[in-house]
Amino acid sequence: MSFNDVLLQFEQVAYRYPDGSIGLDGCSLGIRAGSRNALLGANGAGKTTLFQHANGLLQPQGGVVRYAGTPVDYSRAGLRRLRTDIGLVFQNPDRQLFSASVREDVSFGPLNLGLDTDTVRQRVDAALDAVGLAHAADKAVHNLSFGQKKRVCIAGVLAMEPKLLILDEPMAGLDNAMREELLSALNGLHAKGITLLLATHDIDFAYRWADDIHLMARGRCTASFASAAMPAREDDLKAAGLPSPQVIALHRALVARGLLAATPLPRSQRELVALLETGALS
Amino acid sequence: MLIEQSAYTNRWRSISPAAKGLFALSGLIASFAAATPTTAAVVALALVATTLLGAGIGCARLARVAAPALGFLLIGSLSLLVSPALDASGSLTLQWLPEGSAPFFRLVARSGAALAALLFLVLTTPLIDLIALMRRLRFPDVLLELMVVCYRMLFVFSEALHDTLTAQAARLGYATPRLALRSLGQLTANLAIQVWSRAHDLHIAALARNNDGPLRFIEPTFADTRRDLAIAALAGSILILGATLL
Repeated sequence: MSFNDVLLQFEQVAYRYPDGSIGLDGCSLGIRAGSRNALLGANGAGKTTLFQHANGLLQPQGGVVRYAGTPVDYSRAGLRRLRTDIGLVFQNPDRQLFSASVREDVSFGPLNLGLDTDTVRQRVDAALDAVGLAHAADKAVHNLSFGQKKRVCIAGVLAMEPKLLILDEPMAGLDNAMREELLSALNGLHAKGITLLLATHDIDFAYRWADDIHLMARGRCTASFASAAMPAREDDLKAAGLPSPQVIALHRALVARGLLAATPLPRSQRELVALLETGALS
Repeated sequence: MLIEQSAYTNRWRSISPAAKGLFALSGLIASFAAATPTTAAVVALALVATTLLGAGIGCARLARVAAPALGFLLIGSLSLLVSPALDASGSLTLQWLPEGSAPFFRLVARSGAALAALLFLVLTTPLIDLIALMRRLRFPDVLLELMVVCYRMLFVFSEALHDTLTAQAARLGYATPRLALRSLGQLTANLAIQVWSRAHDLHIAALARNNDGPLRFIEPTFADTRRDLAIAALAGSILILGATLL
């Protein structure tokens, strides 16, 4: 990873909450521009604290957060620039949606940027379109499903046109259909060049979807690696209290029985089935 | 929720809230300008007919929404007709006040017409549109921000209240009056903490979207606002003139 590729960099970042609990403990990781990133860790590992540092909501008590190679400027103007480029979507939509109107809520961020009304209207329409909610623009937020509310939250941040979109456990509380819809929206955003970083507990999803994996445990950033390297990093997963993706164990068992070749490595059960069907025998 | 449902599903949902507000205001003026109770009753009927036939609000729904206000109005107005008094034997009786009948009918008819005007507005216009209209009319920002956040939180807390009540009831929290009192206290304490926690989270969420103070939202747009306003002004003028001249 070259220095210029890194959009957001944490260097030995430390933060302790006023009650004495550790938020981050010498955390270091980098987010490459244009990549899809999954942040994994148990509850209380420090994922939300890390996100709040990325958006400038929290200021490190030790270490440095760099954005585009420059240490974050915590002045009012500096934070304004940072929060324009780095959008943060929280876990619970009911804790971040202000207005009862979908269109109004999505307009909140771009209006805070001081944009003119016509530009805001264009951005609101484009953001709602990107998350597949153009038809719900004039609906009341409380008449939407949980999944739709989550997508309104994403649209509210997208309308600010961030370079890096951070999502705190976006799949939590969603059924399979909603997950697929959200995933499709996220992939659409990635295709437009937006860097994505999301927290998840779903190791199978992370292995299947992400380009880079970041692990956290007890406030420490314990490992960062390319998702394709996951089979070789099972010790790191174990140290972070995470299981290995099921497809890795299944693939190994099939290789051991001579039913599949050791390479290519499937990243999902769908890919594994495809390998079996194409007869990729050892 | 009846008002909420009607406001979003009525036939005139897409009509400019400014036009609906103007017509409702005309209805209010007409109800106070009405010279006689009969005229005020005619104004009320005209407003009710507009709500039912124009906006397509169901008769039963309108009656259910109006019932509490009408009940309050009737009970309050009855004090003009009857008064508690002591009779010759010193016991408490209700005394009929013949001179109270004229103000009674005037009050009921005018208040009924004013109620019909307000119900027309709230049953045809979602609160978010009304707040946007108030913003356009330059109401104070602080008032509008409070309205926006309170309206949103109303639904968030009704959900939290429902969830907590269900969770308590599932563990026999309301099995006896004593337990019910205890559960109610815990529910209140729990919601108080949630209010604080959610207010804090909203503040953080606002900062994350670059907010620096006032809550800014885009105004909704409506097609043919000028035409709607012209029609509302015409209908409102007819209502006021009719109430004054009849």
